Amino acid sequence: MPAVFTIDARSGVPIYLQLIDQVKRSVAIGVLEPGEQLPTVKQLALDLTINPNTVARAYRDLERDEVIETASGRGSFVRGNGTAMTARKALSDVAVDSLTHAIREAKSIGLNRSEVLALVQTAVDRWFPKEEQ
Amino acid sequence: MTAISIRNLTKNYGSFVAVNDFSADIEAGTVFGLLGPNGAGKTTTFKCMLGLAAPTAGSVLFEGQPLQPALFERLAYVPEKSVLYDWMTIGEHLEMQRRAFSRFDAGRAKELLALFDLGEKKKVRSLSKGMRTATALCMAFANNPDILVLDEPTSGLDPVNQRAVLKLIIDASAQGKTIVFSSHQIGQVERAAENIAIMQKGKLLVGGSIDDLKAGWKIVEAIFDTDQFSTNGLAGDSRVHRMERTGRILRLSVHTGADALVDELTKMGANCRAVDLNLEDIFLNAVDPATVTTDLVEKA
Repeated sequence: MPAVFTIDARSGVPIYLQLIDQVKRSVAIGVLEPGEQLPTVKQLALDLTINPNTVARAYRDLERDEVIETASGRGSFVRGNGTAMTARKALSDVAVDSLTHAIREAKSIGLNRSEVLALVQTAVDRWFPKEEQ
Repeated sequence: MTAISIRNLTKNYGSFVAVNDFSADIEAGTVFGLLGPNGAGKTTTFKCMLGLAAPTAGSVLFEGQPLQPALFERLAYVPEKSVLYDWMTIGEHLEMQRRAFSRFDAGRAKELLALFDLGEKKKVRSLSKGMRTATALCMAFANNPDILVLDEPTSGLDPVNQRAVLKLIIDASAQGKTIVFSSHQIGQVERAAENIAIMQKGKLLVGGSIDDLKAGWKIVEAIFDTDQFSTNGLAGDSRVHRMERTGRILRLSVHTGADALVDELTKMGANCRAVDLNLEDIFLNAVDPATVTTDLVEKA
């Protein structure tokens, strides 16, 4: 299991949320593959120098979101069943968070609804050329 | 299960109130961080917990019971000021521990010494402040205690050894031990602890889970079209800890409900956003009315 997680302990974002976000991202982009074992709570806590109960809380939430599963005594694994769905769901969670943040920022600097929609349209056009529509 | 319950603890030294009606519950198997500026009352709190100072009022219970000798085997305390004997070697200190504590693990002691690069033959007299702290930590952890009380356990250590101490705390926590530690370095507490109490002048200022505090405490910044905007209702709002207005800008320090407040202010016509705060920001917001401008509206 590669060391793919980085935690900013001094961020205002709770550490367990950072961890959840990073695991989802890793699953979504395929860095963590279906069936792959995650580090134990203790190992990850020591690797990242963060509280083990914080790691356990992140793992519990990831289980609830059906991103990982825990086999008692064997450890935690990226879910195998319906992997594509898990990954898409994970990815869309991350994407929705980023989009919400961006739209809120746009609103906070005073852009109106149609200006924001136009910006989104421009961004979408850039990443999805016409032929892909 | 509550490992340590501190109830309305007060400690006076003459007319000086070192600890003032301080309460905290520390759950078994958790790491609890005690934060506060110098003289906040952290060390006095520890001393009262461990029976080294008699509380003026209030009580401390371990697993529901007052401190009693049966607990000494399972409890380790590392004070801020080293209590080692200058004329003895590190190895002799460990030998003393071995004789006094049935749970002492000699193999673990050797591992711990190696971790901090401490030689058994070294005399305490020749050790730096940081090395003394490290020696005391080795003695405490080698006893395999269930409850650890560590007063400034990283003080005097270089960053590499500070990180090693944090990892010891995390490792012990993963084994279900209960750890209480104090530190000036908020970043260390932010990593290793899950629950905190911030003390100032003997009093509890802010307490709770770090994740919950970060999720709750925000700065809500609202920019209105005119500086004649009304803040009616906000002054008495229970979500608002402090309110500050400068020209067209309103800054609210809130400890809960930031998202709803952003929506409400947006409906009032403001361009509004909520800013996340880290533990240091929360600490400063809780402690410091000093960012005070002339326009500050202080809440009672």
